[in-house]
Amino acid sequence: MMPTRFPELLRALSEAGVEFVVVGGAAAVARGSVRLTQDLDVAYRRTPENMRRLVKALSSHRPYLRGAPAGLPFVLDESTLRAGLNFTLVTDLGWIDLLGEVTGGGGYDELVRHSSELELFGTRCPVLGLDKLIDVKRAAGRPKDFEVIAELEAIREMERGG
Amino acid sequence: MERSSERYVDPVIEAYKKDLDRTLIRENLRRTPEERLRALMEMQRFAVELRRAARAAR
Repeated sequence: MMPTRFPELLRALSEAGVEFVVVGGAAAVARGSVRLTQDLDVAYRRTPENMRRLVKALSSHRPYLRGAPAGLPFVLDESTLRAGLNFTLVTDLGWIDLLGEVTGGGGYDELVRHSSELELFGTRCPVLGLDKLIDVKRAAGRPKDFEVIAELEAIREMERGG
Repeated sequence: MERSSERYVDPVIEAYKKDLDRTLIRENLRRTPEERLRALMEMQRFAVELRRAARAAR
């Protein structure tokens, strides 16, 4: 695997006008987490126009299903996006997860209300806020997230002067 | 009933908090969000290099 090229991925999405929110590990890092994450998770708005923009943003970067056997037919186009919801992809800019819905967080419209725009690599990107990140991790209920929740809560306490 | 993460204190999570390296987090909070993501990319590159070295050593 290769390191994820966050600047290029975020610019590609922004320049194509994709409505998205950075969620997951990358959002946690942007908010202060020191944990290692490999991919960029984004929640995207599931409107036909936005799915067109998403395809435009990523299609030139050879998107393919992560972990799928080589040779499996896969084309990231609007009908593929319409037929699915969440996609874990590898591209030539690194790993990206496209999430139509996040467990405990809902879809783009819900998540964007709990986000704020951050200046990242020359673009302004909506990034999920700490409170919602914690809620989403709690809702997932996975033991592997306990440490993550503890860290995010500690960050929130420290930002409030704790 | 909705359980707000602000009010709910989970004893398991509280136990995990005791082991956090807060100096590392405090240092990270001094960075801008972009600097934090750049540091993450550096960590990823380091992890890739470690995996490559481990494969080569086998």
